[in-house]
Amino acid sequence: MHRLFWKIFLSFWLSLIVFAAASLVAASLFIEHARSADTEESPRARFRTYLEEARSVAESQGVEGLTSWLKKLDRREVIPVFLIDTRGRDLLDRPVSIHVAERIDRGQRRVPHGEFSGPPSRRGLVQTPDGSEYHLIPDFRAVTLNRVLSRPRVIAIPLIAAAIISGLVCFFLARYLTRPILRLSRATKMYASGDLAMRVAPSVEGRHDEVAQLARDFDHMAGRLQALMATQHQLLSDVSHELRSPLARMQVALGLARQRDQDQPSPELDRIEREAERLNELIAQLLSLARLESGTPLSNTEQVDLAALLTEVAESANFEISASNRRVRFLAHGQVFVEADPALLHSALENVVRNAAKYTAENTAVEISLQPDDQRENWAVVQVRDHGPGVPEEMLTRLFDPFVRVSDARDRTSGGYGLGLAIAKRAIQLHGGEISASNHAKGGLSIRIRLPIDQIWKTKSLSASSQLP
Amino acid sequence: MNRILLADDDTELCEMLQEYLEAEGFDVEAVHDGEAALQQALTNAHDLLVLDVMMPKRNGFDVLRDLRKHSLLPVLMLTARDEDVDSIVGLELGADDYLPKPCNPRVLVARIRAVLRRSLTGTEDAGATGQPDILTLEDLEMHTGSRTILLGGKPVAMTSTEYSVLEVLLREAGHVVSKADLSERALGRPLTRYDRSIDMHLSSLRKKLGPLPGGAERIKTVRGVGYQYTLS
Repeated sequence: MHRLFWKIFLSFWLSLIVFAAASLVAASLFIEHARSADTEESPRARFRTYLEEARSVAESQGVEGLTSWLKKLDRREVIPVFLIDTRGRDLLDRPVSIHVAERIDRGQRRVPHGEFSGPPSRRGLVQTPDGSEYHLIPDFRAVTLNRVLSRPRVIAIPLIAAAIISGLVCFFLARYLTRPILRLSRATKMYASGDLAMRVAPSVEGRHDEVAQLARDFDHMAGRLQALMATQHQLLSDVSHELRSPLARMQVALGLARQRDQDQPSPELDRIEREAERLNELIAQLLSLARLESGTPLSNTEQVDLAALLTEVAESANFEISASNRRVRFLAHGQVFVEADPALLHSALENVVRNAAKYTAENTAVEISLQPDDQRENWAVVQVRDHGPGVPEEMLTRLFDPFVRVSDARDRTSGGYGLGLAIAKRAIQLHGGEISASNHAKGGLSIRIRLPIDQIWKTKSLSASSQLP
Repeated sequence: MNRILLADDDTELCEMLQEYLEAEGFDVEAVHDGEAALQQALTNAHDLLVLDVMMPKRNGFDVLRDLRKHSLLPVLMLTARDEDVDSIVGLELGADDYLPKPCNPRVLVARIRAVLRRSLTGTEDAGATGQPDILTLEDLEMHTGSRTILLGGKPVAMTSTEYSVLEVLLREAGHVVSKADLSERALGRPLTRYDRSIDMHLSSLRKKLGPLPGGAERIKTVRGVGYQYTLS
């Protein structure tokens, strides 16, 4: 069940055991080899070479040469090599272990018995021209771990090999563990941004551990979420369509009532007609939001002059609110072309501007500006700023949710933000743009819309329009 | 009295609309599914068909497609208000005009009258100014009396709306006619924002007429301004 737990536990435990065992085996093999082997590269063969070297050095350079030769040798040779004089002292004054001294004693005592071939007294014997004698003797037992470690050249290759092998093992283990987790985290981020299509299970094909289990559970959850969202969208769309039938009948009934009155003015019927129209508008917005959220890509896009579109929106909004001593200001500088669905982009901008017009205080103006984005090339920023009460900081991101109410007290009369900004956000996103809200430093709400603009289209359209009469 | 065929599956709505339209002086017959609508429309007993898109058995588009194979009966489509695609498809299939539903019955009556006027008497400026009976322009011949078009001597079948649009363009041949103007004079209603009706009628006109004998474009689009019938 807890496969991942056992994987981690066992792999670390095993690798530690294997490493320890390997070190022990290597060390013991090395020492064993040092003592017994007699091949070309074996310590014994090396020792014979050292003896010849020592003899020739002693002959040509005397005790001093012998001393410096021994120092050099000691630095590169793992096995300690001693040159012991007749008084039992090492040439480099190193402490001589008892068994080395015993071996020399034994060697001298054996001389009369002639146990070895050749004169035994000459085994390991080095003589200098001035007549002093030294025994060259290796101390195999003194090959300690400490001595091995303090000679880097000896241990470099096994050490590097161990580092590479263990590094590879750890690297693949870490990657094996983290890859599906990274994919999960990527999927989670995509879900948060509203894309429910990604699945993680394919990346853990053939695995049966906790991570794979998590991936499969995650996919299951995503599937459920996706189905729920689809049902919700479908419901919203169906309900809106269903609401239309009675509304259509109501409008005809209203028409019949007016017909019977022979079109006498009737404030009640006017009111009913107005409310029916509002209801109709609301249903249209709901359907529009449902369609935008279903993620259908843009169809029938064309190059749209953003500046002209904003001028149109600003003028019509200005006309509507001028009666209440409020204004909408926008001054276009030239043309800015975007590739867009003109009706959809129009409704997005209109919703934002109307919303600002609704909240700006009397005797103030909604200010609209259109500028190139100073952070990104070929992007434009539209800023719509009102002189209203602004929005509490914590509500700024929720402003684009459907039917959000910023504060109950104020919105009860105004009806809150309704669907306008929610539609605007989805429409802008569908055009590849971004929309954000912030409170202006000097009061009022500021909505920023960033849109990618089409530089190529711009030059093309300018040359085309110059041909017009 | 103008006879209207009303095709909508909402029987209650039909009853009320029938009452309303009869009070406005129309003779109304109502049907509630696509098959009945097509059957009745092909009897040639009506002057106009008001056709809803969403209907059982056969939807409005299928009815219109089959109807246009045999008949040029003026058709006013009732489309879902938020589905721009519906209106475009409807116009492409040869509807004379469309109206989003739910709609104000007064607006419906106004549209019905505009379409009927086109099919019965032609455009607003025809007749009144005592124009000649036959307009000829290269390979194209327009008989305003019988409202027929001859292309290279052969008659071309077109809806009354297409005829009206072409008539306005022909009378202004060589000049650019704005979309707003075309809408007022040919459709009998002001142009609304993002209304693609004129463009759709123009595109079917182009399909039916093809290029000029010299190979030049017959009807030019002047971007952001309007349309122009080409004079060579």
